[in-house]
Amino acid sequence: MAGRTYPAVRFEIEAARVADFARAVGADPAQGVPPTFAAVYSLGVTAPQLFGDPDAAVDLARLLHAEQEFEWSRHPQVGETVSSRGRVTSDTERRGMRFVSFETDTSDAGGSPLCRSRALFVIRS
Amino acid sequence: MSELRITFTREQIAAYAEASGDHNPIHLDDQFARSVGLPGVIAHGMLQMGIAATVADEAAGGPDRLRRLSVRFAGMVVPGDTVLFTAEPAGQGKLELKAVNQRGEPVLTKAVAEYVP
Repeated sequence: MAGRTYPAVRFEIEAARVADFARAVGADPAQGVPPTFAAVYSLGVTAPQLFGDPDAAVDLARLLHAEQEFEWSRHPQVGETVSSRGRVTSDTERRGMRFVSFETDTSDAGGSPLCRSRALFVIRS
Repeated sequence: MSELRITFTREQIAAYAEASGDHNPIHLDDQFARSVGLPGVIAHGMLQMGIAATVADEAAGGPDRLRRLSVRFAGMVVPGDTVLFTAEPAGQGKLELKAVNQRGEPVLTKAVAEYVP
């Protein structure tokens, strides 16, 4: 699966969703978009493409999210529409477990980079 | 040092599922969670990371300053667990983050943040 890319997904950063997310992570909704809202606009919109890809054969019941990294060029504002593109950067097996690295690049409406998400998923056999 | 002590509840996990759009039943349905070998519902790793980020934002002087955040999900968090999240300065523009449960076990490891000082 390494090297597989998925089509870009557009997502609008909506105020109500951001406020709900902020409250859920103990942040002040008045402070704008929490950094880890990237779990929604970057990882969250692209990971389902991987999980739904029959070739990837990811069994959600055996899936563990092992590591996560976000790097931001800047944080999006409420009202922006962003675009995220996911790709599998590595897919290996060791000790009977499968390790899938999945990266997502999110850019703004002008095409400038906002965020890169790097997720490591472990699938137990 | 910034810190936040959170006792996780089913309601909070459900609220995160709703807000994040991650409706995996291992976070919402005890019976399903047990059927896949878990003790019952568990908190989203991304909820733990989100709270760690809130603490990092405060230490960094605001959420807009954060430039990188990286964690390893090292332990499960179940409803009723109390986790102490901390952010400590670790050099210019760097923070070391910790998340330790009521038994002293780390639930996040290799957790670091970088920010614009």
